[in-house]
Amino acid sequence: MDKLKIKALYYLQAMLGANCQFREGQWEAIEAIVVRRERVLLVQRTGWGKSIIYFLATKLLREQGFGPTLLISPLLSLIRNQIAMAERIGIQARTINCSNLKDWSEIEESLRCNICDILLISPERLNNSHFVQKVLPEIAGQIGLFVVDEVHCISDWGHDFRPDYQRIKRIIQMLPPKLPVLGTTATANDRVIGDVVSQFGQNLTVLRGPLARESLRLQTIRLQNQGERLAWLVENLPKLPGSGVIYCLTVPDTERVALWLRQNGFQAEAYHAGNDRELDRPALEKAFIQNEVKILVATVALGMGFDKPDIGFVIHFQRPGSVVAYYQQVGRAGRALDRAYGILLSGAEDDDIQNYFINSAFPNTRTMLDILTVLEQNEGLGFYEILSRVNVTPSLCEKALKLLEVDGAVGITRGHKSTYFRTPNRWVPDTVRVERVLNLRRAELAQMQTYVEHPGCLMQFLQMALDDPSPQTCGRCANCRGKGFSSEVSQELVKEAEKFLKGATITIQPRKWLPKGLLWDQKVIIPNDEKNAEGRSLCYYGDAGWGKLVQKGKYQDERFSDELINASVNLITNNWKPEITWVTAIPSRRHIHLVPDFAQRLARQLNLPYLTILERINDAPEQKTMQNSSMQARNVINTLAIIHKIPDGPVLLVDDILDSGWTLTLAGYLLRTNGSGNVYPFTLAQATGRNA
Amino acid sequence: MIISPDSQAMLLLCSQIGLTIDTELKPLTLREWNPLARKLSLLSWRPGDLLGLEANDLQKHLEISEENAKRFSKLLMRGGGLAIDLERLANLGIHPLTRVETDYPQRYRDRLKDSAPAVLFYSGNKELLGQPGLAVVGSRNLDDVGRSCAEFVGNACGFSGLVLYSGGARGVDTISMKAALENRGFIVGVLADSLEKTIRKPEYRSALSKGDACFVTNYHPSAGFSVGAAMGRNRLIYTLADYAIIVASDVEKGGTWAGATEALKANWLPVFVLEHPSMPQGNRVLLSKGANSLPFPLPVHPADLKHWLDEHIISKNPQNTQPSLF
Repeated sequence: MDKLKIKALYYLQAMLGANCQFREGQWEAIEAIVVRRERVLLVQRTGWGKSIIYFLATKLLREQGFGPTLLISPLLSLIRNQIAMAERIGIQARTINCSNLKDWSEIEESLRCNICDILLISPERLNNSHFVQKVLPEIAGQIGLFVVDEVHCISDWGHDFRPDYQRIKRIIQMLPPKLPVLGTTATANDRVIGDVVSQFGQNLTVLRGPLARESLRLQTIRLQNQGERLAWLVENLPKLPGSGVIYCLTVPDTERVALWLRQNGFQAEAYHAGNDRELDRPALEKAFIQNEVKILVATVALGMGFDKPDIGFVIHFQRPGSVVAYYQQVGRAGRALDRAYGILLSGAEDDDIQNYFINSAFPNTRTMLDILTVLEQNEGLGFYEILSRVNVTPSLCEKALKLLEVDGAVGITRGHKSTYFRTPNRWVPDTVRVERVLNLRRAELAQMQTYVEHPGCLMQFLQMALDDPSPQTCGRCANCRGKGFSSEVSQELVKEAEKFLKGATITIQPRKWLPKGLLWDQKVIIPNDEKNAEGRSLCYYGDAGWGKLVQKGKYQDERFSDELINASVNLITNNWKPEITWVTAIPSRRHIHLVPDFAQRLARQLNLPYLTILERINDAPEQKTMQNSSMQARNVINTLAIIHKIPDGPVLLVDDILDSGWTLTLAGYLLRTNGSGNVYPFTLAQATGRNA
Repeated sequence: MIISPDSQAMLLLCSQIGLTIDTELKPLTLREWNPLARKLSLLSWRPGDLLGLEANDLQKHLEISEENAKRFSKLLMRGGGLAIDLERLANLGIHPLTRVETDYPQRYRDRLKDSAPAVLFYSGNKELLGQPGLAVVGSRNLDDVGRSCAEFVGNACGFSGLVLYSGGARGVDTISMKAALENRGFIVGVLADSLEKTIRKPEYRSALSKGDACFVTNYHPSAGFSVGAAMGRNRLIYTLADYAIIVASDVEKGGTWAGATEALKANWLPVFVLEHPSMPQGNRVLLSKGANSLPFPLPVHPADLKHWLDEHIISKNPQNTQPSLF
């Protein structure tokens, strides 16, 4: 054994314990990086020890006098136990991200003094002028090793599309020879590997391991409606070992499932990155790791880098969009257990949600060109200035700007307010590429649909879908064993779950601001006495429960059913109890009678007078075609008028579906500023798409 | 963007990219690079052969001091930082152009020899660098005569398909560039500062993307203004053009004066000075030092200016000597 390997082994044992030996491939990777200073692609499942490679390689390169390692990862921080492991061999890791601004000067200092060995950054930071012009010069740009985590994102065929990885691809092409690069991923099929190989160039060592998870017992169960699946959870969770994760596709679903489970006596918490409710995610993770919370009901926000070895089960409440996503999520279970369960529930709403995700994945070409046009006419514009000039949702606008930035068509100057400007680079829409990515997403979805129905070994199915070199039947999944959890649920429990779904309290938070660009350039606070009170909605649009009835009433019957009236009366009088003295409705030109008719019938049941106060003065485009606050608010304010005297008592303001909330906010604002009392908004449903 | 190993090595050794002004590690000056280039050439090496070499190799092969060998090797180890910065710049529309590349302006090689900048950064159409054209120079603050002359030269370039070369600064430069672009002409701005900021201006951006403009600098693309830089830059304007027209100059001070006297002495190209009763003192002295006269009111239609200049040269033709290596 050569001297370097002995030294590396010594460090390995210092990190992991005296008897530890290299796994197959680990030394080979380190040798290629440190001795031959070549490029390495590592495709190994999570938990294999990819971080050990770059810790040891960094240690050995640093000893030879090379600069620190730059670790590019979408993860914002190294996992605490990894940092502790690195420190055992004297490796200092630091991370620079947008949330630790206060630490930057200390980190820059540690780079200057050459004591920082690994600098972790997100891909976006590569284009940050402070980072490029202030941080990198601290080490005079002397990077000893490039590590690219989640390297599959370099490929268009990768399962998640991160525009900033295009940047990494171009940087790698400009790196001089003898600067080692390590790309790591847990999952990449042949096509993705081929792509990465062509980007990384010759002399690339590819190390690829098997994907099978030996403790995992897979099963798929189809239960059409949410009520059945909620009931299934309550019946089956007690049979599952230890703690676990339930994945949902949308934020409201996580909240709802967690609430339902708590009501049925489980320690369950929702975990997501939604902004409606600030979650203390680190605290939740900690409580879950320490088994204080038994069940996390999570969106994909619980993702990469989260490492809990004793997760007993991963259940999917809805079906994910691709085999890779599913494999990664289900693969969190049972890392250090002999037996763990991966159960995929799927239902009627899955495809709708997934198709929504696919269709809103890319802004359309028209939007991109519109944004470029407004930027071309100006020297620089803020985000909201763009929004007030282009009819696009904030999230799509953000996506569009990101794509344009990575394509070099748009630049950003960062300050307390970022300014976007047009660069002289030409931009032509790459429709072929967008189509290719979208088609890939559709194919992935179709593959996932096949998985649900697959009669053979489920683990083998996953392995084959991921081009595992040695797929084998597992002998453990429900299909191999011919038995698993029952898909039968007690009808009583289903009824209870449906009642729960129908009785959920869904609030309408009053908007506090008038958007930028409506009255003035700035956002304007709505004074308290002109602002709506907190409102209520009966359900989420299209949901199980009342959602389907709302859909039917609006688009099929053109009349909302008595069932919905009764449910609304019940919610208002027994649950919500706002102090109201009269009822009015939001008028529409397209469905003239729909909402007023509903509001009148509702008022009659509530024993309150119904008054027609508001009218549409001209034909506005449907509010849902307005893509952002500025456009929405302007659309409302230009078209609503007060046509009758307003009583001074508090009022119930009725609409059918809550979309942006601007209609209610501005109608309420008009009512209040013209003499009415408190305005309580009520809608039959809330659209969920935008918040999903 | 693909960047050749030769250019990579030159950027690492000779440019400020990825370094701060106050850093201890200093890139090579031209005075240091030129002898190194000659050594490489004697060894039949290319600059790219230096990549990946460590200090002791450098010392052995290049016969340089240990201190310099360490410094060069440190500079050469900056490849990671360089790639990141070049990618960021390319996204903004800014690219490097080193003396080793074939599309480096031949006029710099021919006229500046060893003092041709090792590294340039440009945005826009680099083919314009060195195309037939007129250089206009003069102060930032102009009188009415100066303004109309600046506009005239801009128009002249637009009408006759010549490139307008200027410093891309306020005053003469801005007025003539605007006139040239309005007449569908081509412009080249040789900047002393902030290439990054200049190309953001809407009036230049569309010209840049249409290929009608090129902005170039031998400084860091994000560098701020410094008087020294502006002085050193003037020769890079003259040496791209066929004729230079000096609109207004002080005597014995300022960049215009320094650049004009240098150009007259070096005899890179015929230099014309605007002559009129209220001309600044500098113009008068330059004329007495042998500059050609361009009388005001201007003698011809802008479209015929080039022809008129051809016929009114009194100074001798520039001579040729050996151009620089890489």
